[in-house]
Amino acid sequence: MSASVLHSEVAVSDEKQAAAKSAGRRFGALVVRLGAIAAFAAIMAYFVVFAPGFTSTFNLINVVEQSAILGVLAYGMTSVIIGGGSDVTEGGIDLSIAANMGLCAAVYATLLSMGYGDFLSVLAAIAVGMAVGALNALAVVGLGILPLLATLAVLNVAAGMELTLTQNTVVGASSPLLGVLVSGSFLGISALAWALIVFSAIMIVVVHGTSFGLRLYSVGGHPESARAAGISVPFYVSFTYVLSGFCAAVASILTVSRLSASTPGSGELLLSVLAAALLGTVFSRRFVPTMGGTLLSVLFIGLLANGFQLLNVSSYWVNGVQGALILLVVAITSFARGSEGSR
Amino acid sequence: MSVSANDTTAKVSLRGFLAKYSVLIAFAAIVIFFSVASPTFLTPANLFNVLVNNVVMLAIVALGLTIVISSGGIDLSVGVSVDMASMIFVMLLAAGYSGIVGVAGGLGAALIVGILNAILITRLNISPFLATLGVLFIGQSTQQLATSGGQPIYLTSGYAADQFNAVARTALFGVPTPVIVLIVLVVAVHVLLHRSVFGRYVQAMGAQPGVAWYSGIRVPRELSTVHVLCALLAGVTGILLSATVKSYVPLSGNAFLLDAIGATFIGTTLSRERKPSVIGTLLGVLLLAIVKNGLLLVGWNFYWQQVGIGVLVFLVLAASFGLRRAAH
Repeated sequence: MSASVLHSEVAVSDEKQAAAKSAGRRFGALVVRLGAIAAFAAIMAYFVVFAPGFTSTFNLINVVEQSAILGVLAYGMTSVIIGGGSDVTEGGIDLSIAANMGLCAAVYATLLSMGYGDFLSVLAAIAVGMAVGALNALAVVGLGILPLLATLAVLNVAAGMELTLTQNTVVGASSPLLGVLVSGSFLGISALAWALIVFSAIMIVVVHGTSFGLRLYSVGGHPESARAAGISVPFYVSFTYVLSGFCAAVASILTVSRLSASTPGSGELLLSVLAAALLGTVFSRRFVPTMGGTLLSVLFIGLLANGFQLLNVSSYWVNGVQGALILLVVAITSFARGSEGSR
Repeated sequence: MSVSANDTTAKVSLRGFLAKYSVLIAFAAIVIFFSVASPTFLTPANLFNVLVNNVVMLAIVALGLTIVISSGGIDLSVGVSVDMASMIFVMLLAAGYSGIVGVAGGLGAALIVGILNAILITRLNISPFLATLGVLFIGQSTQQLATSGGQPIYLTSGYAADQFNAVARTALFGVPTPVIVLIVLVVAVHVLLHRSVFGRYVQAMGAQPGVAWYSGIRVPRELSTVHVLCALLAGVTGILLSATVKSYVPLSGNAFLLDAIGATFIGTTLSRERKPSVIGTLLGVLLLAIVKNGLLLVGWNFYWQQVGIGVLVFLVLAASFGLRRAAH
């Protein structure tokens, strides 16, 4: 593979000195990882100095609020990638997550506008989200369809159902719960920001602090070994898809509260969700997807958009810079990882 | 899933047969269903309409993806190649250049996208998924910046419109040019992928990248060709698209991405090893196009069509993958 060419350039040390080489590689990886983080830090420092009001508490909370929806979705995607393995065509991926959020938002807003209460509407949205997730799980685990394909088909179903439900219109919504989410605050931090903080804390603890999370990683990392160790691989993989559906439902309630309505076009979030989940790998020592890494990349994407806004740079640049950064980060990462890098 | 290569003892299993031909069976059933359900479905005029409006452009993009997916990669930036070719083509015509210059410029733009992908993947060693995702984002920004936020360019009359008609509305022996372009490209890609040394290399890289490398295949070079070809094919679609609608609408190419991936992977169900093939991809494209058209004819609105297509693709995949799993 082409990686080997780069690899031989990285490992300048004598091939016989394997130990020295691996130490050198470790050092190289450390430098690269710090370098990537330093690049992030440099961009942030630039914003701090030149973007007026960037560091104000109000602005930072605003960024956290704006990142809540992307963050919750990215956690769902990250869990699927952790449990399904990060291989691009065969590994875990949930392309339906953004469309699922749109469907849940439509269900939630429609039920509210029909006069059902918050409790029932939220319940229905979560049920729909998890049902879509369960459909993905059935397709991937039960029928053995490639995740990329299965969730692609489900994407179409979910997006189509959203359209039939809303007739491609904006469905306005208001309720006590939405009122709390919009204007409520605790300790000076708004409800939306709290939603992200609490959700992040739960995800990080569950995935990185429990034996459950460790088993999830083993299922994604090496399914055969996991099976040999007595772990039920189908259960864990199914769980990630249902969790992803649940995340979509939670994000749908957040998005309805932010916009006071369910709006068409939520499917456009998919690429940002993918970018956030994949960009997050650079923050982990072994370049694997982690919840903490995903949180950092979500906040980074949010801060980037925000900083550009404050600097009065056209928002048309944001996508491009985001794309360039992904490429930069991943190029550096795969360079550091050496020959096992790509694919 | 390991596939037994032992054919001598393999019994002809009904499930295996159904799994192998589930797409074909579904295809036949759908054609029969719509022929009965709608009197206009099987008319030459309607089938021609499906071919020109639904099949040609998607099929050309899907051909490119078939090559990339055969090599074990993916190209999420096909939409950018479509858009960039379309944008440069339309802008050149708007500036008064001739159709030939426009087509060359459009293909050149797609070529640049392909080369960028190739450099990212083979030189910088970025995985195809992430490399092309990054290019997708950059391509979207580029279009927004070039069109002040996504203003479409319409050239519906005058010199440019004539040039558009020269590309999209002419016919040779009664066959419209876009259809001829499709036929030529199908044959070319089929030969390239299934009958040439390059094709063998591509298939080898897709099946066993490590083995391909140790067998002396120059993987970076072949992989670069793969991505450049894919971008060029998408560029052809971009040119046909703008010539047909006589305009450039920013960010419209992305609509092809998911359908083309779906068609290619539906096509893989034809082979036991789930390898993409040109024939399979064409079948996938036809399946999607016919379902879209048929649902429209029996009176489903656009929204229900999407649900219908999703459910149908899901069922076909479920039948193919599920039966095959049961057969082993």
